[in-house]
Amino acid sequence: MRYLRPDLIDLPRNNKKKRVKRTLKNQSEIAQAATELAFQARQEILKMTSKAKASHVGSALSVIDILSVIYSGVANIDPRNMEKNDRDIVILSKGHAASAIYSILALKDFFSLQWLEDYCGNGAPLGGHVTSKGVPGVELSTGSLGHGLPYGLGIALSRKKSEIPGRVFVVMSDGECDEGTTWESALLANHHELDNLTVVIDRNGIQSLKETELTLRLEPFAQKWKSFGWDVHEIDGHDYQELARCLIQQSKPTVVIAKTTKGKGVSFMENSVLWHYRPPNDEELSRALTEVLDS
Amino acid sequence: MRDTFVETLITEAQRDPSVVLITGDLGFGVLEKFENALPNQYINAGVAEQAMLGLAAGMASTGKRVFVYSIGNFPTVRALEQIRNDVCYMNNPVVIVSVGAGYSYGSQGYTHHALEDIAVMRALPGMDVLTPADPFETVELTKYLVSSRKPSYLRLGRSGEKQLNSAPPTLKSGELNALLKGNDGSILFTGAIGALAMQASENLKSRGKSIGVYSVPFISSLSADALREIASLGPIVTIEEHSTRGGLGSAVLELLSINGIKADIRILGVSQHNLAEIGDQAFLRASNGLTVEKILSTFAL
Repeated sequence: MRYLRPDLIDLPRNNKKKRVKRTLKNQSEIAQAATELAFQARQEILKMTSKAKASHVGSALSVIDILSVIYSGVANIDPRNMEKNDRDIVILSKGHAASAIYSILALKDFFSLQWLEDYCGNGAPLGGHVTSKGVPGVELSTGSLGHGLPYGLGIALSRKKSEIPGRVFVVMSDGECDEGTTWESALLANHHELDNLTVVIDRNGIQSLKETELTLRLEPFAQKWKSFGWDVHEIDGHDYQELARCLIQQSKPTVVIAKTTKGKGVSFMENSVLWHYRPPNDEELSRALTEVLDS
Repeated sequence: MRDTFVETLITEAQRDPSVVLITGDLGFGVLEKFENALPNQYINAGVAEQAMLGLAAGMASTGKRVFVYSIGNFPTVRALEQIRNDVCYMNNPVVIVSVGAGYSYGSQGYTHHALEDIAVMRALPGMDVLTPADPFETVELTKYLVSSRKPSYLRLGRSGEKQLNSAPPTLKSGELNALLKGNDGSILFTGAIGALAMQASENLKSRGKSIGVYSVPFISSLSADALREIASLGPIVTIEEHSTRGGLGSAVLELLSINGIKADIRILGVSQHNLAEIGDQAFLRASNGLTVEKILSTFAL
């Protein structure tokens, strides 16, 4: 199987890719590596969702900068330390952004880039919501919202009780904050003083049918988390430097409210509910890839 | 049963520091012993069952042997999707322990009656569903669960259940536990309702019928071989303090059907919920046909 526009699709994948060591801890180095990783991943996401005629391209483009920073040296996780019990844990709780995390994991050599080409295929390893079954690097199968945070919290609590180091990162959507488990977990993390748990919320302001504030109001959002006893950062979720700065250290349960744009990087997808569901057709894919490559 | 469970778990947890007990803020007068003995292996998650089950799965993924404790529907139906996705899909060895099987919480009302839990838990992939008949079986099943490393559900009565086994039994996954042997037919039961089965068998004996009585502690792993043998002896009656839709009776019927085993069988349980009814456990059992007389009349059919 090959992509529809090989001239565009095959151009940047391998010749621009840089190997990034996980040991990078310097904010600027992380940001620089994340810039490159996100650039690559955006193209993969577009190609995957178009070819598979899959939903959620907007959600994936929204969260990809956050994931790129986490996987560019913030989290101590790589294909060689997955069996270590003190590795950092990354959970993508918004499992519908599967194309985002799968792109990152493939680009970081957790599995072959070839897998992306058969995204959502019959008998293929990668489906439309995140699964850990047979997919290296995935810690939790997700797809129903509000599951990642309690699960990550359990890992963080277990490690704290056993004095095992390693941080837990849970990446969530803002729509997911409608779920009761989010706030149950917000209470629990504070009560147990989990200074090894960081939540990043992809605050793109749009959920399944409409804007979050027209659906089930979240604001004043930061204030809610503060009142639950969390350290709160409100930042631009597409600013690699800012993401790296907020994510490289913590002293309490920490939430980073990353203000993002749904469909970020493709002008005609940005801030549109339509692209929560619609896959790009051939012509749209071509335009989208051109925009990303020119960025 | 619940005291026996906690005492057994304390002994096991003292030996195995990976054992953790999480409660959904229930167990007054029952769990304090565990908390006092092993404070670092005890968590009260508060009244937050869904987060509690997610949390339990996360802890289990790190190698902990997690037991989650609450009443009937709260750690099961209330947190069903967490059990389905975070425990079963991820194959995390969490043991869900519910107290108050059937009508144990009688006059507390329908919110506290566990009548669909076996059906719901049995439907989940990889879930080992266990129901002890008495304190002896509770000890054995608790020990089994500490080492079994599977998603599991332990359905306990409440307190004051009588011993039905005459001595601590040896229980094996998938096998029946014969309390009385008989040549003319069999009663299969699960849980403390077995006391009625024993009485019915005694009664039938005086009428010249020899009816075996079998506890079914392992519901989801029950083997066809165990059924094949008793099906050849004569009529089978199953009884459970649970809905007839999806419980022990259903499990037995499925096994018979799938394996092509012919049997003369009737299943007894709660066939129709009467949601308006208030009363204690004995009253509710009786009004829902969970009686010795019902077992006797069923055999006479």
